[in-house]
Amino acid sequence: MSPTAVLYTAQALHGLAYGMLLFLIASGLTLIFGMMGILNIAHASFAMLAAYFCYSVMKITGNFWIALLIAPIIAGLIGILTERFLLRPVHKQGHLAELLITVGIMMLILELVKLFWGTESLVVKIPQSLSGLVKIGGLTYPVYRLFVIGLSLMILGFMALILFKTRLGKIVRAAVSDAEMVSALGINTPLVFMTVFGIGIWLAGVAGAVAGPLLTVFPGMADQLGMDAFVVVVVGGFGSLLGAFIVALFLGELNAYGIQFIPRLAPVLMFAFMALVLAFKPLGLFGERE
Amino acid sequence: MRKPIRWILWGLLFALLLLLPRLVSFYYLNMVIAFAIFSLYAVTLNILLGYMGVLSFGHAMFFGTGAYAVALVLQHIEGFPLIPTLLVGALAGGLLALILCPLLVRVSGTAFAMLTLAFSQLIFVAALKYREVTGGEDGINVTAVPPLNIPGLVSIDMTDKVHFYYFAMAVVVLCLYLLWFYTKTPFGSHIMAIRDNPLRMDYLGFNLAQTKAINLVVSGTFAGIAGAVHALLMKLVATFGVLDINTSFKPLMMAYIGGIGSFFGPIVGSGVLHLLEDVVIRFTDRIGLVNGTIFILVVLFAPQGLIGLISSFKAKWSAKERS
Repeated sequence: MSPTAVLYTAQALHGLAYGMLLFLIASGLTLIFGMMGILNIAHASFAMLAAYFCYSVMKITGNFWIALLIAPIIAGLIGILTERFLLRPVHKQGHLAELLITVGIMMLILELVKLFWGTESLVVKIPQSLSGLVKIGGLTYPVYRLFVIGLSLMILGFMALILFKTRLGKIVRAAVSDAEMVSALGINTPLVFMTVFGIGIWLAGVAGAVAGPLLTVFPGMADQLGMDAFVVVVVGGFGSLLGAFIVALFLGELNAYGIQFIPRLAPVLMFAFMALVLAFKPLGLFGERE
Repeated sequence: MRKPIRWILWGLLFALLLLLPRLVSFYYLNMVIAFAIFSLYAVTLNILLGYMGVLSFGHAMFFGTGAYAVALVLQHIEGFPLIPTLLVGALAGGLLALILCPLLVRVSGTAFAMLTLAFSQLIFVAALKYREVTGGEDGINVTAVPPLNIPGLVSIDMTDKVHFYYFAMAVVVLCLYLLWFYTKTPFGSHIMAIRDNPLRMDYLGFNLAQTKAINLVVSGTFAGIAGAVHALLMKLVATFGVLDINTSFKPLMMAYIGGIGSFFGPIVGSGVLHLLEDVVIRFTDRIGLVNGTIFILVVLFAPQGLIGLISSFKAKWSAKERS
């Protein structure tokens, strides 16, 4: 390959890796929104929390794989507790109150993280087996990013399997389109909500833990990931998984190439793109309901 | 409360505000000005949240554009007078609301919150990146606050803390009065009626989109004024501080803690948060931890805020007295 082609491919892979991470976060966000009508402002904060857990578990055990396994699960459990004890009590007050609760949670997580881990950037070391470079036809590329892409694809496939082939998936899809009807059919929707919330947070947690070595772990992580994931969900359409997937990949590439060619404009471009979509389709590209 | 008592209380409050510079140090004087600015800012948010029933999640964009407009005008035009400076801030906030209102009146509920958040982030990122104009993270220094000039009469130096205190308080109190009056007009009732039953208002022949749009512009304009006074007080306008997401959350917390069901709720909330900050900062740096906890507790247990709590206690009390 010519050097330019190599450069372009590398950027494309960078964009793909970031896009997949965004999708992991955004998929939980959009599922939760679709089912419960909650815009979870604290979603990326949970991802950040998982990244910090990952750092700490790794410090204790010294094993990246254990950390990668445990950190998202802890985050998911905290997510379940949050849903049960903070979100469910205000459910009857309407979506605005739920939204505000998540704002409060976001602030609390940020402050707690600063309290326990400090404000400096923490570095999560990649294990030996993932840290090298790999040669693919003239292109040298870090293995870890390929691992991120592979892991995300695996989880994506796994989620699709659950969503489209199991009973739980059927209930979730039904609840996205009409939660009241599902509840009337005798299904314990609060339990389903709690499960989905937990899984959504777990997905974000995986993304956060995996992103740790890429972005370093710092208190501003939630803002960075959260805003991008937020754009993905808004542009893709509230509650639409397909929309989130397409837009996440698109934004990943936009980010990667934008940083290369118009470094200053790249973030502005992203929000301008969102404003443009919203001006013509206020519900997002694939969104169907408010 | 009977009317004479109420007037006496207002008079006492007014006298307190007048005498304050003699009673407290400059530090507390600054705090009171900040409290007043954020009261106005939170009330403009409540004009949307409490009265129209939509959550402006990116209210900082109005506040921030007002502040930036003032800083830019003072930076580039030498000898720009004081009152027009405020008008520039008001114009900037109002204009932004006017530009966005065709989009914003179409949606409500969560979609409104997200749209406002989206646009405020767009403006925030743009301000952060275009450092030639906005100074990026460093911001713009407001080097000289212009004197208050009434041609032929007086010229009052605004670099004096006490003078500035009176000026800022006068602006804020006037704006609050105007907004209070605005909510009491028939138009203000239309807005509340749209919140409670939009379908009926539509059938009655009211132009919903127009009414909402006007309310948005009013809210944006006064938020712009709050931002303008803030710029003059802080003498520094930077993206983190006037445009970031925390600046959007602050008035939201104030409005909610004070109570969104009442005009004065956000003012109470602003007072509570500023006092709390003054106390908490002596013990810990983690103000957000305290604020966040209080905020969650209020949303969970007192959705009508402090004012709502007080009035529910009052109702219980009078019910007891009667029985």
